[in-house]
Amino acid sequence: MRQAGAYSGILSGGLSGKTGPHSLPLARIKKIMKKSGNDVKMISGEAPIVFSKACELFIEELTKRSWTMTIQGKRRTLHKEDVASAAIATDIFDFLVNLVSNSSHSMDNPVEIETTSK
Amino acid sequence: MDRRGFHGYRKLPSTSSEINMRLAAEIHHHPTTTTTTTNNNSSNNIHATTDDMNECTDHAQDSPPHAKISDDAKETIQECVSEYISFITSEANERCQREQRKTITAEDVLYAMSKLGFDDYIEPLTIYLHRYRELEGDRGSIRGEPLVKARNINNNNVDQYGTMAAVGAYAAPAFHLSHHHHGFFGGAPIGYMNMRDANSSPSSSSHAAALANVEAFAQHK
Repeated sequence: MRQAGAYSGILSGGLSGKTGPHSLPLARIKKIMKKSGNDVKMISGEAPIVFSKACELFIEELTKRSWTMTIQGKRRTLHKEDVASAAIATDIFDFLVNLVSNSSHSMDNPVEIETTSK
Repeated sequence: MDRRGFHGYRKLPSTSSEINMRLAAEIHHHPTTTTTTTNNNSSNNIHATTDDMNECTDHAQDSPPHAKISDDAKETIQECVSEYISFITSEANERCQREQRKTITAEDVLYAMSKLGFDDYIEPLTIYLHRYRELEGDRGSIRGEPLVKARNINNNNVDQYGTMAAVGAYAAPAFHLSHHHHGFFGGAPIGYMNMRDANSSPSSSSHAAALANVEAFAQHK
């Protein structure tokens, strides 16, 4: 019997095709991947699965950093500006800076997906 | 664990197990807030895991359980996730084009993440991916071992993997079926194995794959 706990998320949700509260819809991920460029041709079956997990990690990191901003503001509700602050404060979230500031400011700059190459 | 990309924000001693424990908890607890049908403004929005976000805030600061996330924050995070996928995929696609491959593989995605600063994700993702591949091997036959061995061989060969990815892309939906579709599982991995080990000719296989095919074949015919 497989050891439960560490990978129960994979067993019951991620690979069974169900999109429970703990895994992201693979078809949607694939759609976004295809939209990322005109020249995206084919995507292996595993790539959206890796992304599903990666996005969970991403959400976790972004949320935790945003929550830090919320706490610093002595609040208990995480708001959009906390997300924006977290994105600005984190180097690897540079690609989000235009996205999070566009919603609060007027569209001065075109949205750039890749601002700098790392 | 290598911390080089993380800027010392927070030590995550066991990232993958922490996350998976959280995921396991989510399976058993009733979702309190779910992102339902509301925010579908652009087709780029994913109905991301709101429960993940709720769980994350709870763990971030030992906060009281009534810590909240505003709707606009959830929407913003959803958009960020979409942007993240686009961002990584663009980089992965560039690599594919440089190497004149047509299919974006899981390895390309991992490479792009590492290049763009998300190298802390690589280890848990690699573990997750290997676990996934093992599971697929188990579903192909009752004894998973030969398939796992074959997979280990082929994990090192990105080109073959890229070639069979076309089959993988087709077979992926099959992999997500429940156990009831066992017959279908039997079909897909067999084709999967063939393509992976022989770029041009389905009939020739490496020894390990042949062994695996026999195993799988025996189970499902």
